[in-house]
Amino acid sequence: MTPLDTSATGVGASLPRLDAREKVTGRAQYIADMVRPGMLHAAIHASPHAHARIRGYDTAEAQAVPGVACVLTGDDFPDGRMGAFIKDEPAIAKGKVRYPGEPVAVVAAEDEETARRAAALIRVDYEDLPVAATPEEAVAPDAPLIHEGLADYFKVFPAICGGNVASETELSEGDVDAAWADCDVIVEGDFETPAQAHLSIEPVGALAEVDAEGRVTLWSANQSVFRVQANVCEALQLPMSKLRCLTPKVGAGFGNKMEPHVQPLVVQLALKTGRPVKLILNRTEDFETVRARHPFKIRCKTGAKKDGTLVARELSAVLDCGAYGDDSPGVLGYSLLMSRGPYRIPHCRASGKLVYTNRMRFGAFRGFGNPQVTFATESQIDEIAGRLGMDPLDLRMKNRMQPGDRWFGGGEVASNGLAECIEKAKAAAGWARGRALPAPPGKRRALGVAACAHISGLLATGAIVRLLEDGSVVLNTGAVDIGQGSDTVLTQMCASALKVPADRVAIASPDTDGSPYNWGTTASRVTYTTGRSVVAAAGKVAEQIKRHASEIFECAVEDLELRDGGRVGIKGVPDKELSFFEVSGRAHWAAGGPIVGTDTWVYNQPSVDPKRALARGLPFPQIGVYSFGCMIAAVEIDETTGKADVVEVWSAMDVGKAINPGSVEGQIEGGFVQGMGFALTEEMVFDGPRLANPSMMDYKAPTSLDAPFDIHSIIVEAAEPGGPFGAKGIGEIGLVPVPAAIANAVASAIGTRLRRLPLTPERVLDGMLEDGDED
Amino acid sequence: MEFVRPDSIEATVAALQADGAACLAGGATLVAMMNADLVAPHRLVSLRDVAALREAARQPDGTVVVGAMRRHRETAEETDLRDGQLVLSEAAAQIANPPVRNMGTIGGSCAFADPAADYPPALLAADARFSLIGAEGRRTVPAGDFFLDWYETALEPGELIESVVLPPAPARTVGSYTKLARVAGDFAIASVALVLGMDGRACIHLAVAVGACGPAPVRRRDVEADLIGGGLGDTEIRRLTDALAEAFDPVDDVRASADYRRRVAPRMVRQALVEAQQRISETP
Amino acid sequence: MTGEPVTLRVNGAERPVAAVAPWTTLLTVLRDEFGLTGAKRGCNQGVCGACTVTIDGEPVRSCLSLALNCADRDIVTVEGLVPAGAPAGALAPVQQALAEGNAVQCGFCTPGILISAHALLRRNAPLTVDEVRAGLSGNLCRCSGYKKIVEAVVSASEARP
Repeated sequence: MTPLDTSATGVGASLPRLDAREKVTGRAQYIADMVRPGMLHAAIHASPHAHARIRGYDTAEAQAVPGVACVLTGDDFPDGRMGAFIKDEPAIAKGKVRYPGEPVAVVAAEDEETARRAAALIRVDYEDLPVAATPEEAVAPDAPLIHEGLADYFKVFPAICGGNVASETELSEGDVDAAWADCDVIVEGDFETPAQAHLSIEPVGALAEVDAEGRVTLWSANQSVFRVQANVCEALQLPMSKLRCLTPKVGAGFGNKMEPHVQPLVVQLALKTGRPVKLILNRTEDFETVRARHPFKIRCKTGAKKDGTLVARELSAVLDCGAYGDDSPGVLGYSLLMSRGPYRIPHCRASGKLVYTNRMRFGAFRGFGNPQVTFATESQIDEIAGRLGMDPLDLRMKNRMQPGDRWFGGGEVASNGLAECIEKAKAAAGWARGRALPAPPGKRRALGVAACAHISGLLATGAIVRLLEDGSVVLNTGAVDIGQGSDTVLTQMCASALKVPADRVAIASPDTDGSPYNWGTTASRVTYTTGRSVVAAAGKVAEQIKRHASEIFECAVEDLELRDGGRVGIKGVPDKELSFFEVSGRAHWAAGGPIVGTDTWVYNQPSVDPKRALARGLPFPQIGVYSFGCMIAAVEIDETTGKADVVEVWSAMDVGKAINPGSVEGQIEGGFVQGMGFALTEEMVFDGPRLANPSMMDYKAPTSLDAPFDIHSIIVEAAEPGGPFGAKGIGEIGLVPVPAAIANAVASAIGTRLRRLPLTPERVLDGMLEDGDED
Repeated sequence: MEFVRPDSIEATVAALQADGAACLAGGATLVAMMNADLVAPHRLVSLRDVAALREAARQPDGTVVVGAMRRHRETAEETDLRDGQLVLSEAAAQIANPPVRNMGTIGGSCAFADPAADYPPALLAADARFSLIGAEGRRTVPAGDFFLDWYETALEPGELIESVVLPPAPARTVGSYTKLARVAGDFAIASVALVLGMDGRACIHLAVAVGACGPAPVRRRDVEADLIGGGLGDTEIRRLTDALAEAFDPVDDVRASADYRRRVAPRMVRQALVEAQQRISETP
Repeated sequence: MTGEPVTLRVNGAERPVAAVAPWTTLLTVLRDEFGLTGAKRGCNQGVCGACTVTIDGEPVRSCLSLALNCADRDIVTVEGLVPAGAPAGALAPVQQALAEGNAVQCGFCTPGILISAHALLRRNAPLTVDEVRAGLSGNLCRCSGYKKIVEAVVSASEARP
């Protein structure tokens, strides 16, 4: 076997991914690669209507196709509803359809071709209803009601809702209305961001199999086996004990695979047919029926004193929710929580409205609303700097949150590496050379900057660390590695905590039967929250190892230490030591029982201190642990066409501690390019309620020629007290400042502030040709 | 659906005479459309074994005949193309990406006639002709008469593109192809193909075609003819771009607005002409 | 499956299929008939590149290649990158470079990237960053931002004898 270089394996080493070998050999199994004996293949029949009552189905023709095993419509599904915040979504359309592409019926057949052919033969009798395609249309006085039952839906937070408004949230500190009078300069503007597709290269899919007792095993492309279990059981009204959820390799998520997609459909088909059923969406279905980043419309106003001291900020946002709530209330609440940015602004008010429309549902996407508000707020920091004639980086440095400062709302911030991020990005980018850079003929080049922060502490997690008989280790956390590398990082932590090489630690694949609960691979939380549990559980194993050793050596536990290579010995006495093999053997066969360390916890620091802030309709009462970042981008504009390209970028991110620096860089680089797509080329274009570009031909993400090669990842480590080895999250923050940094560079280059993404050649050219409004 | 793989042009033409027959060239377009359930030909006539279609040859007078099955990569690297004919290799090199350029063919791309594709303006600027063959025999259609409308060409049912014929370009002309696209390899928002010859400050050959700004590539031979013999400064370029813009008939699509296309294409033409003149003046 | 029989030469082995329909793509046959699931279906439109294989040495889209049109061709998939006869578990240098270079995240695009990289490596050496960026421009990766992939392929090209 060709060895990979795994000489350094502990915390701080860029250990190659544990699954790198199976991925480079093509052996890694994703959901589409799975086959079970007797497996059927499913296909959906999607709604062609945006909003229509279902009067009836005619499935006779589909049923008659040879090879078809089962056709199910809404009538064949229970009345349960699922939803992360508002239980508003059935497993399949029932009674009416609410967006084009919504599954209306589903077919299982002997092969996929037959299933798709049969699905196309299903006839549905629709009665068209008036359509609300945009939030503006949906809040109009005569707007059709998208969820007649909204008031009665179960909600997991004190939702302020009514009509087509799914949720309203407000958060404020200080006295904003009075504070404007203290400002010497005020900037105000309307910002707009489009829907962005996650575009995981793997489309979503699921495979369900039912056993003789009627218990179902479900594999799917997912970010949390536990959320899959909860959603399916809610929608199908099954006891959770009747459903076991597992995961194959996941071809990336970015938020797309956190909440349900087709899992309830295959479970119901498996229950009805008694056979394994697999459903993989094609790319167009994946575009139209899964979810995407929320379009935001943001009104933002920021004021400062002549010396650059920020005084007040008011931000209001309207989010297109799409047809179902999904993660949307969370996105709204979180985006408002981020709207002050990592600054001291004493007077701040953020409010927002989430509006149901007859478009596809919008939901979680890397950054969770933060990139959208940061685009607006960091644009305005630059506008203020321009108005005051200050350097934008100096303005950020001057107003940055200081150690001990609280987050907007009053949440505690224990570590803050923002100053170091700013200083390091500034030095690396050569900011002192000026923002306008030399450019080839016909081009303009400029630097732009943005700063930001993002959380990593949220919700519940656990870990189980077991010492096997031979002294090697199994780690079980239930956290799904969606490709970002958490299996490797958690293994490194466990190995370091027990002082064993990483190859002595196996990591269990998530399993709702056997793994401790993990809310999910989302919110940049796995390294921090799950890592904490891993370190705590490993610590309990270490304690037990020492207790055995103390009994054998007849010494105090305090006199013992773990030694590299899986040994425990008496401090200061090198030859007094035992291997984990000896300790574990004793535990298994003679004394004490097998060594198992477990830990569970839930993040419980309040987001809001009622003495400081007023909050209404906030969906996350407990959230925190902040990473910080500063990014500088060098952008080149083609003067002929207005096309903007990023030529170089410096991204300094405070991650507390880089457990695996290579993986941290991978998150920064990947986050940058995904953010660059959001800033420059990616836009889901809607024709009324309908997505006009649901294909990779028509929706364009950056290729290797569009992405700059010179992405400089600068790792800053402001250790988080309580974080595992000091670590905090990195999954999302690398994307958050990208649109703002690019927009600020573009504004520098063309002299006009653009407030609408993406920054297409058309918008940039228009900006370049008009009289600039940028001071 | 039936699949046939003839090994001669004659057998291919015969196979194409059935209702619902379609040529399978590289597959880059046709199979993508079949996968999306947009087309379902009754008979697929694979051209892979028709050796005559795969060749390109330069004739003694400089004419280059490019077989319909020449793949984009081959055309991008074609050493038989010289001077102004290089407009075609520049266009081929900008189509999609390497794996697609290894599959897609000039015949297949042109037969599909996407107005945002790269070959139509390049062939129009190169004064190329299509050699078509059908049950009635061969005929030649100039590029300007081949691309008729959105996804519509002069090909009759049962007819096959045999080759694309590029006339010799006058010596010391340059050919260039400039594309504006959202990302590398995308179809064009707008594109400019040109062949230019200068004798000192006098323009002796001028052909400018604009792609993606209407149902077919746009060229204004009338204005080009007027400009021959004179200089090619701002005023002259302006005359040409104004005339081209009059002939544009763009639409709004997911790539860009019609309005932007109207505004950006003349700017691209101007820039391309300035750069081409510079190239000529720098060539010894 | 209805259709006609065909024999495909995949990774050096002749592999017969009893019946292939005219519209069936090479990708479908590789995955469903031969169990070679390294090539992935990401878009089925030839855009994403996850299905890339080489035919007669050149990277192409297996989702746009009809299986019946691939008879008598030499097809290589990611499973065939390690030469036959190499010890079990051996990796081709480009596979090793990606694995060690932290250039693999979710891994779904990786087989297609490896095929394109493999073809590039056979043509020129050593490769420049821009040559690799151009050579991989038909393989979308949504995780990595490409940098570590490009670095790994450049380093594999420099390491070659």
